[in-house]
Amino acid sequence: MDITRDARDRLLPASIPYRFFGLAVICHVGAWGLLACYGDGLPGFIGGPGPILAALHMITLGVGASTACGAAIQLLPVASRVSLRGVGATVGIFLLLVPGLLILFHGMGAAQDLAMEIGAALVIAALGLFAWKIMDLMYRVKDMPVPPDYVWISSFALIGLLSLAGLLVADGKFGFLPRRQDIAAAHGLLAVYGFMGMLAMGFSGILLPMFTLGHPPNAVWNRRAAGLALAGLLLSVAGLLADQRTVFLIGWVLGMVAVMVHLALMRQMMKTAMRKRLGPSFLLVRLSWVMLPLSLALGLAAATGFALDRSAPLFGFILVFGWMLSFLLGVLQRILPFLASMHSGLSGGRPLMPSAFTHEKAAMTHARCHFTALFLVSCGFFFEQGGLVRLGALAGLLGALALLWFALHVWWQSHKALRAAKLVNIS
Amino acid sequence: MTRQPLIASLLHEEHVQTISALQRLEEFLMGQGGKRPPELKRPENREVVGGITAGIAAEVQRHFGFEETYLFPLLAEQGQMGMVGMLAGEHQVILPLASGLARRAEAAINAGAFTETDWAAFHGDGLDLCEREIFHIQKEEMGLLGAIAAFVDNESDERLSALYSQMVAATAE
Repeated sequence: MDITRDARDRLLPASIPYRFFGLAVICHVGAWGLLACYGDGLPGFIGGPGPILAALHMITLGVGASTACGAAIQLLPVASRVSLRGVGATVGIFLLLVPGLLILFHGMGAAQDLAMEIGAALVIAALGLFAWKIMDLMYRVKDMPVPPDYVWISSFALIGLLSLAGLLVADGKFGFLPRRQDIAAAHGLLAVYGFMGMLAMGFSGILLPMFTLGHPPNAVWNRRAAGLALAGLLLSVAGLLADQRTVFLIGWVLGMVAVMVHLALMRQMMKTAMRKRLGPSFLLVRLSWVMLPLSLALGLAAATGFALDRSAPLFGFILVFGWMLSFLLGVLQRILPFLASMHSGLSGGRPLMPSAFTHEKAAMTHARCHFTALFLVSCGFFFEQGGLVRLGALAGLLGALALLWFALHVWWQSHKALRAAKLVNIS
Repeated sequence: MTRQPLIASLLHEEHVQTISALQRLEEFLMGQGGKRPPELKRPENREVVGGITAGIAAEVQRHFGFEETYLFPLLAEQGQMGMVGMLAGEHQVILPLASGLARRAEAAINAGAFTETDWAAFHGDGLDLCEREIFHIQKEEMGLLGAIAAFVDNESDERLSALYSQMVAATAE
């Protein structure tokens, strides 16, 4: 272990994680904005290019992958006490990711194959580089406060999903895949349950006990949950790729057991939480805990063909917007002021507390709008009413703008604190 | 997986006690508001204003003193200078804040009441202390306790635990 570096050294320059978080907040606005304009097509959506596919990837890649990049490159070195090698590569990840996403979203939205191919290539390069940096770091970790299994599984899932993404894009041009829908479903499972899901479950064992001051999850059961989740993921994906429904169903059962163990660990942590006033961010985290098993239940319904027209698109929505987005935004609302406070102490003078960077009204507005959006869009799916979906998306857009306001507040307060510290240092 | 040394468990237990006291103080301050001073003739108010602030100040002084005297030098030797510097820097802000609050609480109790101006200042500083100390504990729980597990060997753990227990016993007498 490199012990010549320490926690302060491992705190990257604020601009590195914040550029990824900023990208996530902007993509969040874009996704709800697209759905507010084109959400009529969401009920019954089962894939294919268009604004819905672009909006979906604005959440999974724009919000999800960007947040994962920002959080992992900053928090993993702190949690593992191992420094990230070649910090400059994070700039490369960002410089590949931004144009890649813009071109990919345009290609998906306008159904332009060339743009999709170029965008996908850039995004695959960016996330491949990210996976390599994280695996290089994890390879050097000797011990961690939570099992490192989740991060390894997440990294391998990322490589798997990028490979399938490449196949899907190539298939769009050459049309060689026999069962494209199943490959796309496996790609989705690896992306949301695999890459993002495992990272979320792993970070839950580090970040949530810190924010709540509760007991970290039991290490033995946490490892068991990771093992079950890995087995569930592998079997589900293998079942889809090999068209073996029984294998898929066994994977689903293991996945559900893993989720139940994880939720029991989270419940135990919340029972021991010393911090009781947790604010709107934890409303979102709690919501995500409800949405995670619900997404699995809907996934089973879709996989078995039960009310397929409704269950399949609703599964995708609840999984991506209900579980993943709720969790990420809840955590983001805590990380942004937390990191800003850490950095405010580095420039000299008395460090500002997270509350100085937290715009409570914006956070609460965002949470309320997010809940409203999920409810209305889900109703829109259920009753197959495109108008309801668009109304819900409008609420989501309002919430996304509130979150943007929250992020700008963090940035502005950080800017003021830095300027004040410079004045003190000069005088 | 990281083992949990005894000294880390002892520090964690004190964090739990301090947070419990801080949350009681925070709830009282938020419920009371900054404009209307509390009625200090009521024993429950005196207990929070005087007893809890004095308790927090004493705990903070002992806890920080132990860390700075025995623990931080050991971690600094292991290359953890940045984390040690950051936490020690926060001690320099929190300790005077906690001691100042305890002194002002004692003065107000002796005088029988807070003036409106004194209460407004006490209220603001009290909430500031609660947030700073809880944030500080969050960082110690995430960073310091993990660093202890990684860098403090069994022999040092036994020595530090004995020293810490002696300090706790001495302040309890």
